[in-house]
Amino acid sequence: MKMMKRTPLVLAAAALLAASAALAATVTVLVQETTLRKRPQFFAPSAGTARLGQTFESEDAVEGWYKVSRGYLHHSAVTTKSVHLGSEEGVGGGASVDEITLAGKGFNAQVEKSYGAKNSGANFSAVDALERRSVGESALLSFLRAGGLLPTGAAQ
Amino acid sequence: MKRLFMIALAPAAFLAAGCAELQKMDMNKLSGGRISNNVDLTKVAKGVKALRKGVEEISESEEYYIGRAVSAQILGRYKPLNDAKINLYVQTVAQVVARTSDRPEIFKGYHVQVLDSEEVNAFAAPGGFIFVTKGLLKRLKSEDELACVLAHEVAHIAQKHGLKTIQTSRLTSAFAILGSEVAKNYTPSQLTQLTTAFEGAVDDVVNKLVVNGYSRDKEYEADHSGALYAKNASYDPGAMRSFLERVAQVESSGMSLFKTHPPAGKRMAELRAVDPSASYRRSTERERRFSAAVAL
Repeated sequence: MKMMKRTPLVLAAAALLAASAALAATVTVLVQETTLRKRPQFFAPSAGTARLGQTFESEDAVEGWYKVSRGYLHHSAVTTKSVHLGSEEGVGGGASVDEITLAGKGFNAQVEKSYGAKNSGANFSAVDALERRSVGESALLSFLRAGGLLPTGAAQ
Repeated sequence: MKRLFMIALAPAAFLAAGCAELQKMDMNKLSGGRISNNVDLTKVAKGVKALRKGVEEISESEEYYIGRAVSAQILGRYKPLNDAKINLYVQTVAQVVARTSDRPEIFKGYHVQVLDSEEVNAFAAPGGFIFVTKGLLKRLKSEDELACVLAHEVAHIAQKHGLKTIQTSRLTSAFAILGSEVAKNYTPSQLTQLTTAFEGAVDDVVNKLVVNGYSRDKEYEADHSGALYAKNASYDPGAMRSFLERVAQVESSGMSLFKTHPPAGKRMAELRAVDPSASYRRSTERERRFSAAVAL
């Protein structure tokens, strides 16, 4: 009888354990650089920077943000798929899309250089120049504040 | 009791173990003697991954390099406007609406260049590259209209419209070359074949962006998504309609403004109403800085 009473509790605990294992995920950064946020929203204060290939253990996901130990990462910057990066063996067509990004293979700088040599009309120096133009976090926040565009509760 | 506890915990234990533990399992016993324990299961798992097949399987970094080459072609045809103030202003507004899009994070971020052309047009290359002509900026009346135009371009990138114009055969050939376990650097022969496939992919996107334009469905989709991104950024999403209205008035006189876009009247007819967000409010500062920056 005593065992019968405990059974639902044990089952509930097991279900909880299974659920938390299912929610937990390893996320890998797939963009060159992204900001870890203290809260799950853009323009929330920075909690650090995460770079291409860095992995984090996530215990929860909140409206498109993965909660990791140091803060929150936006889902569009990471993958939850298992990623192997073996630089010695190389990455080929048998590799996943994400592995191609992390290994820098596929269409890459080497292919671009070869393409540029064949296409003299392509103006890569102008592309390099436009890529140097970027607005930093504090300038962007000032722009938003001044223009009445700052979301409620952001960057406090 | 102990047995019941073990049964209940089994799913959790299985989830916790994960695929990394595959090689530790006694596969000979599990398979009834059909699979030897000498087989390295991690290598088997890696070997059975299917070859990449289509546009959806272009990686983040490959999209970036395709976008760079498309941009280099556009900047080979159009002269970039050498005006730091206006380029920085347009870049800032683009970063604002990109943050509220479906794809705020992209391999190396979003970048905008104003083109020194009287043509009225805008282009979005894969990988986050956006081009707006001086002629288009002259037709805008406010920062909210600029935000809607840029958000429309961000939508093309977020929804990978440029990549979807690449012929599958080009990718198939590139992926087949990559199928032979490429080492750190490509051999000259592999590089030649990859460059040919890359060149074809870039041509496909450039022709679609600069010559033919996207399909009407993709333009209408980008209009709607752009209005939503503008709304999310607390801009007036109705500014998309007010801009198109003025373009439609000009086009009604027989003059075609957007060479690679559907007529503005048709775009207006397809544009669904999007109400401003609760945090939207008019701003004299937005009016001031728009007038100061876009004084062409």
